Amino acid sequence: MKHLPKHLRQRWRYLAVGIEAWPDTNISRRAFQRALWYAAGNLLGDAGSADVDLTLLGFTVENGRGEAIVRTRRGHVDAARAAIACVHAIDGDPVGIRVRGISGTVRACEERYMGGASPDPIQRDVAFAGAERSVVVRGDAHDIAIDSDHVGATAFDIE
Amino acid sequence: MYEAVHAYPDGSSTVARHARTAAEQGYDGIVVRTRDAVAVDPERAEPAATAEPNATSVTTLREEYDIDIVDAVEIDVETPASAGGSVGNYRPDRTVVCLVGGDDRLNRFAVEEPRVDVLARPMDGSGDFNHVLAKAARDNRVHVEFDLGPLLRATGGRRVRALSDLRKLHEILTYYDTPYVVSANPRTHLELRAPRDLVAAAAAAGFDPEWIRGGLNTWGNIVERNRERRSGSFIEPGVRRGRYETER
Repeated sequence: MKHLPKHLRQRWRYLAVGIEAWPDTNISRRAFQRALWYAAGNLLGDAGSADVDLTLLGFTVENGRGEAIVRTRRGHVDAARAAIACVHAIDGDPVGIRVRGISGTVRACEERYMGGASPDPIQRDVAFAGAERSVVVRGDAHDIAIDSDHVGATAFDIE
Repeated sequence: MYEAVHAYPDGSSTVARHARTAAEQGYDGIVVRTRDAVAVDPERAEPAATAEPNATSVTTLREEYDIDIVDAVEIDVETPASAGGSVGNYRPDRTVVCLVGGDDRLNRFAVEEPRVDVLARPMDGSGDFNHVLAKAARDNRVHVEFDLGPLLRATGGRRVRALSDLRKLHEILTYYDTPYVVSANPRTHLELRAPRDLVAAAAAAGFDPEWIRGGLNTWGNIVERNRERRSGSFIEPGVRRGRYETER
């Protein structure tokens, strides 16, 4: 089909989204896209979801840390932000999520808000709460495995 | 803007991790609701992150992450009788005293007790809120918490019920001009949401963004007021020790 004249084309906004989860969590692109759409559907309804779009464009998550670019229609950025804030778990695994910034082009979005490569995770054993625990260290962030659960800590909490 | 967090051992992230994440997200401070997460020892000069003897002091964390960390306590008891004792115990040591509601008698007790700063989660469980409580809370300057946790983390019928409770609470609070605070009750650093995201979510649910922002800021006002009251120069409201006024 012939494409639309420029003034009739959809204007988009691109949201840079930071994603964080426990280190053993696997988040696939499909699962994240599904979580976004479910969150929008539940919060804004079908009509609102159509308004915010929330198509996932870029997605890189490794060892429970990463970033994504989410597309939304211009003028619906606040609703998109709201829907993204309501993503609290992906396939049952808790995730932390944060909108880092908004741009008018994918390229500006990448240049400004993405690519702050997080340091590679290091597996170590540390003393915490009176016992030896396995911990994944990423910079200052320490994710400690306790039984089947996790505790988020920092270098300050390690004895 | 402040967020009031549940830290380890009550939640799954330590005070330091909450502070680190909250600072990244643009909060001015965190209020630590968990009693055991910040050890306040009258014999030690300043509160520490845990009761361990070599624990990092809160001041160090404040400087490291450039964010305010407030020692608070959340009193969670069964009956008003035991709540009275706990409030008396913690009030002298802690900057912010919260009492967990969610039960009609506890809600009633909290709003009639001026020593309580915040009535936390009044609509949880069987708890309800009405005009009598709203007026009492206003007169005693007890802040009622507006819990956005279920909006962010619940689904289906539970979320619908929680939101309809929040609607009711919002109407009563605004009508009587009752002081209030807003929090999402995060239990891990993953549940923390940036102030802007939180406000956007509340706005999408139909609450006034300005009102929500006001509730996040109110934590800071409570902290400021209580710090001033606990400082050495404060004697009673309107009376303070210091230099005489040089200008009229």
